[in-house]
Amino acid sequence: MHKSIAALLALLPTIAFTQDPAVPAFTEQTANAGLATPYLGDWQYMVGGGAAVFDCNADGRLDVFLAGGEGPSGLYLNQSAPGGDLRFEPTPGLNETATTGGYPLDVDSDGVMDLMVLRVGENHLMRGLGDCKFVNANSQWGFDGGDGWSTAFSATWEPGATWPTLAIGNYLDRFEEAFPWGSCTDNWLHRPNAEGTGFAAPEPLKPSFCALSMLFSDWNGSGIRDLRVSNDREYYKGGQEQLWHVTPGAAAAPYTDKEGWKRLRIWGMGIASRDLDADGFNELFLTSMADNKLQVLNKPAEGAALLPQYSDQAFKRGATAHRPYTGGDLRPSTAWHAQFEDVNNDGMADLFVVKGNVSTMPDFALNDPNNLLLLRPDGTFYEAGEVAGVASMKTGRGGAVADFNNDGWLDILATNRWEAPQIWRNMGAGAAWIAVDAQQSGANRNAIGAVIEVRSDPPQRREVTVGGGHAGGQIGPLHFGLGAANAAQVRVIWPDGTIGAWAEVQAGETAVLRKD
Amino acid sequence: MTKASLERPTRRAVLLGAVSAAAFGPAAWAISDTRAAEVLGSWYKLLLELIRHTATYSPPVASRAFAYLGVTVFEAVASGDRALRSLAEQVNGLTAMPVRGQGEYDPACVLQGALVHAINAHFSNTGPTGQRAMLAMTDRLAKVAGEGVAPDVMRRSLDHGLAISTHILDWSASDGGAVVENMGFPYEYSLTEGPAHWVPTSTVAVQQKPLLPTWGNNRAFTLPAGDLCGLPAPTAYSEDAASAFYAEAMEVYQTSKSLTDEQKAIARFWSDDPMLSPTPPGHWESIALQIFERDAVPLALQAETLALLGMAIADAFIACWRTKYEIDLLRPITFIRRVIDKKWEPLLNTPPFPEYPSGHSSQSGAAAGVMAALYGADFGFTDATHEDDGIAPRSFVSFQAAAEEAAISRLYGGIHFRPAIEQGLVQGACVAQHVLKVNTRA
Repeated sequence: MHKSIAALLALLPTIAFTQDPAVPAFTEQTANAGLATPYLGDWQYMVGGGAAVFDCNADGRLDVFLAGGEGPSGLYLNQSAPGGDLRFEPTPGLNETATTGGYPLDVDSDGVMDLMVLRVGENHLMRGLGDCKFVNANSQWGFDGGDGWSTAFSATWEPGATWPTLAIGNYLDRFEEAFPWGSCTDNWLHRPNAEGTGFAAPEPLKPSFCALSMLFSDWNGSGIRDLRVSNDREYYKGGQEQLWHVTPGAAAAPYTDKEGWKRLRIWGMGIASRDLDADGFNELFLTSMADNKLQVLNKPAEGAALLPQYSDQAFKRGATAHRPYTGGDLRPSTAWHAQFEDVNNDGMADLFVVKGNVSTMPDFALNDPNNLLLLRPDGTFYEAGEVAGVASMKTGRGGAVADFNNDGWLDILATNRWEAPQIWRNMGAGAAWIAVDAQQSGANRNAIGAVIEVRSDPPQRREVTVGGGHAGGQIGPLHFGLGAANAAQVRVIWPDGTIGAWAEVQAGETAVLRKD
Repeated sequence: MTKASLERPTRRAVLLGAVSAAAFGPAAWAISDTRAAEVLGSWYKLLLELIRHTATYSPPVASRAFAYLGVTVFEAVASGDRALRSLAEQVNGLTAMPVRGQGEYDPACVLQGALVHAINAHFSNTGPTGQRAMLAMTDRLAKVAGEGVAPDVMRRSLDHGLAISTHILDWSASDGGAVVENMGFPYEYSLTEGPAHWVPTSTVAVQQKPLLPTWGNNRAFTLPAGDLCGLPAPTAYSEDAASAFYAEAMEVYQTSKSLTDEQKAIARFWSDDPMLSPTPPGHWESIALQIFERDAVPLALQAETLALLGMAIADAFIACWRTKYEIDLLRPITFIRRVIDKKWEPLLNTPPFPEYPSGHSSQSGAAAGVMAALYGADFGFTDATHEDDGIAPRSFVSFQAAAEEAAISRLYGGIHFRPAIEQGLVQGACVAQHVLKVNTRA
């Protein structure tokens, strides 16, 4: 074969189709970023390893809490210069042990971010004191931390409530050795107490099926945030994925098959949620082992009721992410944290998935690269992990996609079992973006449960949530790519249903939209 | 579960109990048999969980493990029971077993030595929880097996059990089923052309190729080369509404539209999904274990049951898989959506491999044949295999009745046409006849 033809053929796999999205270049900056907390431990830490991302010192930069498993957790102050390399410094403000994950939340609505620390043992609800200092508020707020193996969290403010409702997902009975299967322990729902000073005694969510991810979300546009729970079928018996009614004044109850709920049984490990087509209903990506699920809510026939029934479009849309796409290991993948974010600022939410073997299971890939699935205009996904430079083969667990250096291009953090986390700086350029920080006075200052709509091409819509992912979450301005546009109109539909006015936001601007 | 005495014990079972008691002496037999039964029962309880929770253990793979482990148990027990006859030189490829040396042996410790090795070998690939459970079980049952046993007897017995397991594991390595990659789904596979043939039925990426297409080439335990229990061809494929094939599809379709609660319960009871249950082979093993516990079945008969039942199920899967890929028939969901109703949904998820015959029917027919020979044709029992999963127990007047219910459940579930069910039972009965030619008694 002629050399030039051979060279051309060699290039063919990398030639993009016209519809393929732009792939942003990421540069790994792990070595100098300063994030040094590995997720350590044996069996009790085979799951977890989450990262919490939030601004704990009010300097406008996103700081990072890392679960440490059997080792110490880590809290890191973001020192990155705007548009510069990613830099963090450890801070001693939060020394937690036996941690599996963490989620930020302004629990007492004092304007200072608090932190839910998930643990093997008692969970700790840490009250933020400012300047990245925290104090255990379990007692002060009447929060029963239990003594479980906690692996999931979500929060919402029920209508009219001044304190949040917290859902804690618990895994199995860690003291069972020979027959741990079927020993899933109860998830707990912590609702506000009657006095409005903290929390009432927890309400067990029976039945519970070894939750690894939970998310309060208004799945049907009713104004009520129900609780989606993704469960690990490895350990439950008679279990399935769940959706719980969480209705004010009533005990939580799972949706039943009589209400249209369809049984799905997977190794549920993480939930990513995003309204990918701005139709008013969130798509869900559920991580698992081998095939992952991309659930799209079935639209009812005209006049029929909307039921909690989803079709799995992962195969059709190229999002199964079921085995490594590079590296030569053909065994099935194991997926954990997942998050929709627009990493190339083309106005369409992309999907980052953290991969890693449970331990050293020989039937599953040991060299299991993280996925970066870029959304195409036709709704299919394009695997860009290798080209973008984020195809780590380490044993991944948690993660976060966030703008750590405030340049408008979302960076990527992935935590690893037994090793320090990795972080990649997004070096993208050439497309516009905005960020929106919805804030309200009184309770629920960060407007958890609000919906932000953006008039862009294509239009965008995303719900403000706390929960999902794998053992970690974030609170901060929400990011929207704008492509070639230089501005967009934005409005907030507030948690109480109030519809805010459209506001013009210029490209490159972080807009704070307030409801007083 | 209903407590009932062993109904109409077969002559064979009565003889086994009497001979075993005489061989060991009443007092010594009672103590060691109790410890050995606890070792055996506990490992098998864990085995059912390991089958459920190890990703490579699809039903054919599970059947293979049950067969080798059953043979291991039998040989461990038979090596100390003169009433029993080794399976060596009786089943395909198994050579003479290691013999006991001088000195006393303890049957519980022999079993412990054999099962620790065998189960760890078969499940070396299970996840961290399974590994942890095997360690915990090894420690716990070492205490049970060794209670009151002299150290030299214990060591000698454990070593003998290990030698038996090693011999059988070496034998198993050459049967064609020892290596399972990608959870049993081939990386490359060419679909057979033509509308009658299997095509993928799910949107699960790994299931775009069919499960274990070469499993039918594995070495069987008891089937002779000249009789692999093959089946006649199924009804000829046709999309003509007046054809027999169309009528079979319409039966599946119409049944699915009018399922009674009882039929739904039957379909779910025998669904036995991999990774969510001990699989169809494990369901029949579970039935045997429940009978052991209910009726305090003598150890020798337990061993005989596990060996014959395991081989019957394994050989049924080999015969079934050979037929499946020779015929390569499409599933009801494919035909019905193509010809009758594009939006049809069966009650059960359609398994990712060709339709004819029904695997559950073949292996249930084989299992029932063996169990009836051991315990009687009219042996009644209640099956609580799935009670932990919230599925109510079901009672049966005979093993054959259970097998027939397992078979018809696949029609209720919408995953098989009737001929696959009926011929599956026929194939299973054929396999059982071969298995029962094996002589387990001296």
